[in-house]
Amino acid sequence: MLRPRPHNSHHSDPGLQPERTDLAWRRTALSLLTVSALFLRWTPLDGWVAVMLVVGAGAAAGITVLSQRKRYLFAVRKVVTADSSTPLLAMFSMSFGVSALAAIGIFTVLFLPAPR
Amino acid sequence: MSVMRSSKTRPVPDAARSRPHPVKRTFASRILGGGNEPDPRFTLANERTFLAWIRTSLAMFGGGIAVEAFTGDLLTVDIRKAVAVLLLVMGLLIAGGSFFRWLNVERAMRRQSPLPMPLILPILAIGGAFVGGVLILVVSRSN
Repeated sequence: MLRPRPHNSHHSDPGLQPERTDLAWRRTALSLLTVSALFLRWTPLDGWVAVMLVVGAGAAAGITVLSQRKRYLFAVRKVVTADSSTPLLAMFSMSFGVSALAAIGIFTVLFLPAPR
Repeated sequence: MSVMRSSKTRPVPDAARSRPHPVKRTFASRILGGGNEPDPRFTLANERTFLAWIRTSLAMFGGGIAVEAFTGDLLTVDIRKAVAVLLLVMGLLIAGGSFFRWLNVERAMRRQSPLPMPLILPILAIGGAFVGGVLILVVSRSN
């Protein structure tokens, strides 16, 4: 975000939809990072499964931030040219990834023989 | 035509002037069920709503982890596990449901039909109220 925007990042939407969407993705990445840090609390008791949760949530946050520039330019192109492509894979990956984290978390609480 | 152009009262995105725009026949368009490309401002708003649901789901995770990890002196093992699992299940359902919510809204916009009801909203309302009720009950009895 600190680098100057390339020429193709300009658009004429006064509602700044691409910027707002960009920030929404970044907020979500921040939430993932927070959850990743919270899962650290489970690592002394649950070992590698908890480490998997920490790494999984952290990796999801990292991938989101690293691929965000591409998604922002994609949103700009959509606003400027009515490009009909949709970030279906990004939406599915985020939804499925967070669901998988929840499923592993439920497994951890219910079945791991930690002294809870 | 020049009169029409000058009568524009507020600027609209470039894309909004060229609709209806047929959807390209891609894998995504088959999933989205055809129709016309909606105003990109609305699809981006739908995307942000999806992300807000994901963050709500992550907040449920935070609650579940906190209850499980930090209420050892307050709740018995069974209640602690039950509340934590319930919060994580809510997180799971909201995260999974948010994708289908986004997809259904996207399809409705492409067909220009009414937007569907958010079916994940009752999960949040009922689950949240239940967890809150259980915690109030347990905490009030423990004092």
